[in-house]
Amino acid sequence: MKLKNIHLENYRNYETIQLAFPNSLNIFLGENAQGKTNLLESIYVLAMTRSHRTNNEKEFIRWGAEFARVEGEIEKKERIFPLEMAISSKGKKTKINHIEQRKLSDYVGALNIVLFAPEDLSLVKGSPQGRRKFLDMELGQVNPHYLYQLSQYQSVLKQRNHYLKRIYETKKTDQNFLDVLSEQLVESASHVLFLRYQFLLKLEQHAQKVHQKISHGKERLTLSYQPSLPIAQETTKEEIKAIFLEVLKKNQAREIAKQTTFVGPHRDDLFFLVNEKNVQTFGSQGQQRTTVLSVKLAEIELMKEEIGEYPILLLDDVLSELDDDRQMHLLETIEGKVQTFLTTTSLEHIENKMKSTPDIFYVTNGQIERKSESV
Amino acid sequence: MQYPTPIAKLIESYMRLPGIGAKTAARLAFFTLDMKEADVTDFAKSLISVKRDLHYCSICGNITDEDPCDICKDTTRDRSTILVVEEPKDVMSMEKMREYHGLYHVLNGVLSPMDGTGPDDINIASLIQRLHDEEVTEVIIATNATTEGEATAMYLSRLIKPAGIKVTRLAHGLSVGSDIEYADEVTLLKAVEGRREL
Repeated sequence: MKLKNIHLENYRNYETIQLAFPNSLNIFLGENAQGKTNLLESIYVLAMTRSHRTNNEKEFIRWGAEFARVEGEIEKKERIFPLEMAISSKGKKTKINHIEQRKLSDYVGALNIVLFAPEDLSLVKGSPQGRRKFLDMELGQVNPHYLYQLSQYQSVLKQRNHYLKRIYETKKTDQNFLDVLSEQLVESASHVLFLRYQFLLKLEQHAQKVHQKISHGKERLTLSYQPSLPIAQETTKEEIKAIFLEVLKKNQAREIAKQTTFVGPHRDDLFFLVNEKNVQTFGSQGQQRTTVLSVKLAEIELMKEEIGEYPILLLDDVLSELDDDRQMHLLETIEGKVQTFLTTTSLEHIENKMKSTPDIFYVTNGQIERKSESV
Repeated sequence: MQYPTPIAKLIESYMRLPGIGAKTAARLAFFTLDMKEADVTDFAKSLISVKRDLHYCSICGNITDEDPCDICKDTTRDRSTILVVEEPKDVMSMEKMREYHGLYHVLNGVLSPMDGTGPDDINIASLIQRLHDEEVTEVIIATNATTEGEATAMYLSRLIKPAGIKVTRLAHGLSVGSDIEYADEVTLLKAVEGRREL
């Protein structure tokens, strides 16, 4: 997959610019606060219709303008077609090949991307919540059925917790109704858990290969899902349902007292193990970084497997966070096959590691100058 | 300068309607001022009438001006089947079909603890009472295909089935006259799950 060009109108600090990307490697170079990440973000927005940086989408619109628009031509499976995403005070409008797409799920997925930003480095060290979000986002991008089951699960969970609260307050239990809510919860949970296990199995295969290469064969990476229920990889959907129901039954009195559902996919975690040891607690800073890098690169391979083409890779200021060896591996893995956009404040460390000639875009205060440099 | 009290009050009243803000309310109020007196009187009368003359049917819970409602009174209808819906407007939709000749039961809500609605807050007790008193052989549950509608359907079936009454649920899947190409993945999945033999 390739992004052939992009056209921004009133997007953040850009009034109107047009950039062509004939090359595979594109570098947005410039000092801080010049608009490098805005450019990268606009590509993310074109793909996902929202930003990785903010929830306030009015920020996309340039100060004083009525609307913001991002357009881009995509080359996918030998077809070239335009994508358009416009936002005004009235809302968002998305078009594929000039045809308006009213449903978000019909638009997202036309342009597949993998983003690697400094925040991702906390994937290993950070909270279980962050790791669940990572799972949900990545799995959701390739599997719409997962998104549906997850939203079902979340809404039933909310209903059930409200009902537990009501039981606590009124001291009256309608066992039939509580059972119905439990049954609905268990149904969607079984799909969510099953799909998560399947996805992690594939992600692990790819991540293992990458990790082995980066660590020169010294380290073996395994991904270990940590369910809050007594289940495992091999547990079938039917078994998950039965086990979950059993646990809910056992916990009922305590759950009413605490007015919340104790276990389920919303309480699970994911461990990254290197040579059987949890990287979060036993890994060095470097091992943690290698792990995140392996997982991110595995995502690229996994997407290729799911959609038949490599996604586009966005690297937001992460090269500076990696050491020479890891930079090498990253560039080696992507060069020539994955179209990549990266932001950086200096070329110093990366120049000699690139085999092909990148397109360099100098970003100064919302102005962009393009240069092809020979390395 | 402020609006004279009568018009200010009217604006305030219009603003209580859903989807109407201050500007639209002011426009409607001034429009009302220009209307013929007879039309305005009619309008006011119908507003009062919906509140005063409409009641919930004591049998099925539908809105009606007479109790019991026309459908419950109708002796030509099939009294062995009851179709359960969430809202009075769902009865209208079903009646437009002209193919269903049984009775109805309107829950006037759906089970949603999040919105403070539990089993005691919607017309479930009166449905169970009806099943005791009348000769009903089938209950068709036509709540919406939302998680709340599903929960309500599952709950009702748990209450009714033990009494030996047949409980059925409306089918999910493709809408008639639609192309498979335009159906979303989840609808298609439901359609495949609910497929039937030809």
